[in-house]
Amino acid sequence: MIHLENINLRVPGFVLKDINLHVQANDFFSLIGPTGSGKSLLLEGITGLLPFSSGTLLVGNQEITNLAVEKRNIAIVYQNFALFPHLTVTQNIFYGVAYHSISRQTALKRFDSLVSTLGLEKIIKRHPQALSGGEKQRVALARALILNPRVLLLDEPLSALDPIFHEEAKQLLKKIHDDLDITIIMVSHNFSDVLYLANRGAIINAGEIVQQGEIATIFERPNSKFTAFFVGMKNIHPIHNRNGKILIKQENIEITPSVQPDITATYMAIRPENISLKTPGMEKFENCFTGKIERITGNGVFLNVYLQTQNFQFEAIWPRSYLRDHDLDIGKPIVFGFHPEAVHTF
Amino acid sequence: MKRIEPLNSLFFLLSLPLIFLLTLPLLQMTFQPSLTMLMETIADKEVMGAIARSIGLSLGAGILSFLMGTPLAYLLARKQIVGKKIIEGIIDLPIMIPHPVVGIAILSLTGRNHPIGRFLSDIGIQIMGTRTGIICVLLFVGLPFYVNTVKAGFESVPIQLENASRTLGAGKFSTFLRITVPLTWRHMILGIIMCTARAISEFGAVVIVAYHPMTAPVMIYERFTAYGLKYSQPIAVWLIIISFCLFILLRMLSNSTHPQCR
Repeated sequence: MIHLENINLRVPGFVLKDINLHVQANDFFSLIGPTGSGKSLLLEGITGLLPFSSGTLLVGNQEITNLAVEKRNIAIVYQNFALFPHLTVTQNIFYGVAYHSISRQTALKRFDSLVSTLGLEKIIKRHPQALSGGEKQRVALARALILNPRVLLLDEPLSALDPIFHEEAKQLLKKIHDDLDITIIMVSHNFSDVLYLANRGAIINAGEIVQQGEIATIFERPNSKFTAFFVGMKNIHPIHNRNGKILIKQENIEITPSVQPDITATYMAIRPENISLKTPGMEKFENCFTGKIERITGNGVFLNVYLQTQNFQFEAIWPRSYLRDHDLDIGKPIVFGFHPEAVHTF
Repeated sequence: MKRIEPLNSLFFLLSLPLIFLLTLPLLQMTFQPSLTMLMETIADKEVMGAIARSIGLSLGAGILSFLMGTPLAYLLARKQIVGKKIIEGIIDLPIMIPHPVVGIAILSLTGRNHPIGRFLSDIGIQIMGTRTGIICVLLFVGLPFYVNTVKAGFESVPIQLENASRTLGAGKFSTFLRITVPLTWRHMILGIIMCTARAISEFGAVVIVAYHPMTAPVMIYERFTAYGLKYSQPIAVWLIIISFCLFILLRMLSNSTHPQCR
């Protein structure tokens, strides 16, 4: 559907290097990376607002690398929504219709359908200044979707919303994708949003794609220290490979993985939520350690618990209730561990 | 009881002389002429002609600055053009050049001794002693006020709005007309007001390029030198009153445009 081949994009002080991306029809594709990694820049490049320095952009079978922005029919919903402040909600939604060969009847039909799907009935006569963040986003979506775009680009669609609208907007984006069979490329720095919404994606760091593929694969099998950290893994350490076991460098800690680590693997990582207490009646962990709770941080429902064994520390995330149920506190001696399946190497 | 803030009181006291400096001479001048004198002055066709000429030509300069200054202001606000700082400096020059120098500079370029002057003369455009000449001078002195005001207006429109418009299918020109202009309309009106106001007050440059046809400031000066203070004051009062009413009207017009964008 969308193919970016050997794309380079230079702006003062930043460069996107050799980007190769393949988005399939009806994908909910996510570009994931930290702030300043170049993901929004890539989105602007796809719209045509920033010209690529080199490379090819194909949509369907058409090469559109040099096609004017207004002729691409690639819609974008910005993080701050970019609604036109001098126009009402209705006028905003109809803004682009005049530039596309959409009959009045079709436009009105799509308008009614979008107003109903996105719940805009009560606000169509208002100006953007009188709308909440969630409402603004729904109007921006309607304004883009009425044109039936070939691709819908979403630039950090959830990060500008109050927590109260965040979940609602997430459900809505999922619904739009499922109902309209549309190809979406979403930029995000929040992996939990991506995990819920996207089926495929790419991790971008400092202007380069570091991993792409199925979101589940990226989440389960990160291929680099950066991706591992970004998808929420902790306990990331350089390793030696010894007879199918892993030896954490300089620490003499031996860990058993479920699968033989790749010969090129230099790091291991364990999700903090995969480390748990060894409790009576529990089947034996293959990776089991005796130690004590060194430190507890965080003050929400989930707490970061630092477990000290000999001269090595593991980081776990446990619910507050888990600590309470097991009567755990700083300094308390414990036996903890994790299953071999929890060990990721790369 | 409302607390008196010592710093505010001090600043108010320090501001007082300035407020007096601005208001007292104008109040004195406005209320000195008798009503009869004011009525006699307004009945004088020459006076009315000069005031109408001043306002008309100044508005003309304001509208020309709108037509020619808007594209320039847009380029300066939106594009990274080579020598941008130098162009901005040149636009600000008329603010600091002594006004008679502006008149002399324009005359030296448009006289018969200069190719441009000869060319203008050949196609029938006279600068010396004509309304064209006056408008030319007024545009010169008023343009910085228009361009700077409208440039700030363009800069206040988020570029993302223009980008969003383009991704929705609108071309650059269409985006300019449907997004940029409606959102900067008030700045343009304000720019025209600023340029026109500056032009109405211009004397030094106008008197060199065109003593006749007489604008109001030139007539005030002429009446002052020929007949004294008493005969120049009423013209000044009428000029102030009429200009004031005009600007209030223009302000109201700009405020009624897109009230939701304020």
